[in-house]
Amino acid sequence: MTQADATPRSSAEEPWPVRVVSQKISAWVARLGWVWIDGQVAQVTRRPGTSVVFLTLRDPAADISLTVTAHRDVLDSGAPALTEGARVVAHAKPDFYPSRGTFSLRADEIRQVGLGELLARLEQLKKLLAAEGLFDPARKRRPPFLPNRIGLITGRASAAERDVLTNAKRRWPAVEFRVVNVAVQGPSAVSQIIDALAVLERDADVDVIVMARGGGSVEDLLPFSDEALCRAVFACRTPVISAIGHETDTPLIDFVADVRASTPTDAAKRAVPDLADELRLIATARARLDRAATNLLDREQQRLDAIRSRPVLANPITMLDSRSDQVNSLRERADRTVSHRLDRAATELHHTLARLRALSPAATLERGYAIVQRSDNGAVLRDPADASVGDAVRLRLAGGELAARVTA
Amino acid sequence: MSEPTVTYEEARAELARVVERLESGGGTLEESLALWERGEHLADVCQRWLDGARARLDAARRDRDANAT
Repeated sequence: MTQADATPRSSAEEPWPVRVVSQKISAWVARLGWVWIDGQVAQVTRRPGTSVVFLTLRDPAADISLTVTAHRDVLDSGAPALTEGARVVAHAKPDFYPSRGTFSLRADEIRQVGLGELLARLEQLKKLLAAEGLFDPARKRRPPFLPNRIGLITGRASAAERDVLTNAKRRWPAVEFRVVNVAVQGPSAVSQIIDALAVLERDADVDVIVMARGGGSVEDLLPFSDEALCRAVFACRTPVISAIGHETDTPLIDFVADVRASTPTDAAKRAVPDLADELRLIATARARLDRAATNLLDREQQRLDAIRSRPVLANPITMLDSRSDQVNSLRERADRTVSHRLDRAATELHHTLARLRALSPAATLERGYAIVQRSDNGAVLRDPADASVGDAVRLRLAGGELAARVTA
Repeated sequence: MSEPTVTYEEARAELARVVERLESGGGTLEESLALWERGEHLADVCQRWLDGARARLDAARRDRDANAT
């Protein structure tokens, strides 16, 4: 190193005062100027109340460390999720602090690098959260079929916001939103999103919360893998639908959320039903219901008609018919019996008459005999003494009667 | 109306039993007549029920059609 300043060389007789040495060291250190430095963060110290963050940057290969200071904003904009183990590239300049004789690198830009390592860390957090049960499907709540009001957490005037609102309204025109706009990337994103969650959780009308953000780099989406945010979402009693980035992005919040939507448009689909679809379904169901009710009534009517048309009900006279038949047949039997007996009696009578006739005097008279009766009293004359001369008598012959008078 | 609590299914089941008994014959004429009267009554109950149901269905359809326009 050349000595550009005019200070004479130091010697035992003319030593340099501390301030001179300090100034010289400071000048030498400053001579390095701004450099880009690559290292691994061994320690991050954010002191409350100060805006300066202290990093211990370690060489990835050798056990050599440097202290880096940076304004909080620098860290938040370039490496918001910076934690121990992260690989960073910093634009820094060495600063010597004369009062204590120490030096550190002051960074005005810090970029987190080593995506693979970063993802590995996320993978580790993912395992931790999974082990704690934050991804447990059994713990997921089902969003309401038709929400009262949808809480939407998204970037101001973002495409994601427009996608969710437009698609939800197209599906269900009466849909109601409460939109909370937040930073969706950068240092304040996590705290703003957690605050928004709390606000929407307190709103009794909000019964589902959609968190939407368009696509971005893995770093941009990092807030949505933040552990605090994941825990806040898990603790949220209102069902949360996450729609972060593109289909292929899987920030950890996607695993914690109750429903994972691939895109903001998909989130709208999952948040509200499609009115036209529902109306069609209702119309179909109603038609089927109608048919079913009509069919049921028709079927029952047929059954009832069938029962009513059975002869015992439709024609109750048949019930009397059999009995009437019985009566008639009995009557006939009675008739037959009676007429039979009458016939027999008539025959008997005939025979008796014949016998009677056989016993009558008519046959005797036919043979030429005559019966003589007194005319006055009809007495039959059996002895000539029964009549006197001059008495009138009647002669009964087979062919008729003759009147006569006793003469001798 | 004498039996407001009887359901359609109960009435129909009893009607079927009554018809069966009538068809199987037996019993006195007095009993048969009483059964027949019971059957007619049950058939009326069933019919009223079906008519009522159909009327409600028609009314609901009218309402729906009126609302639809």
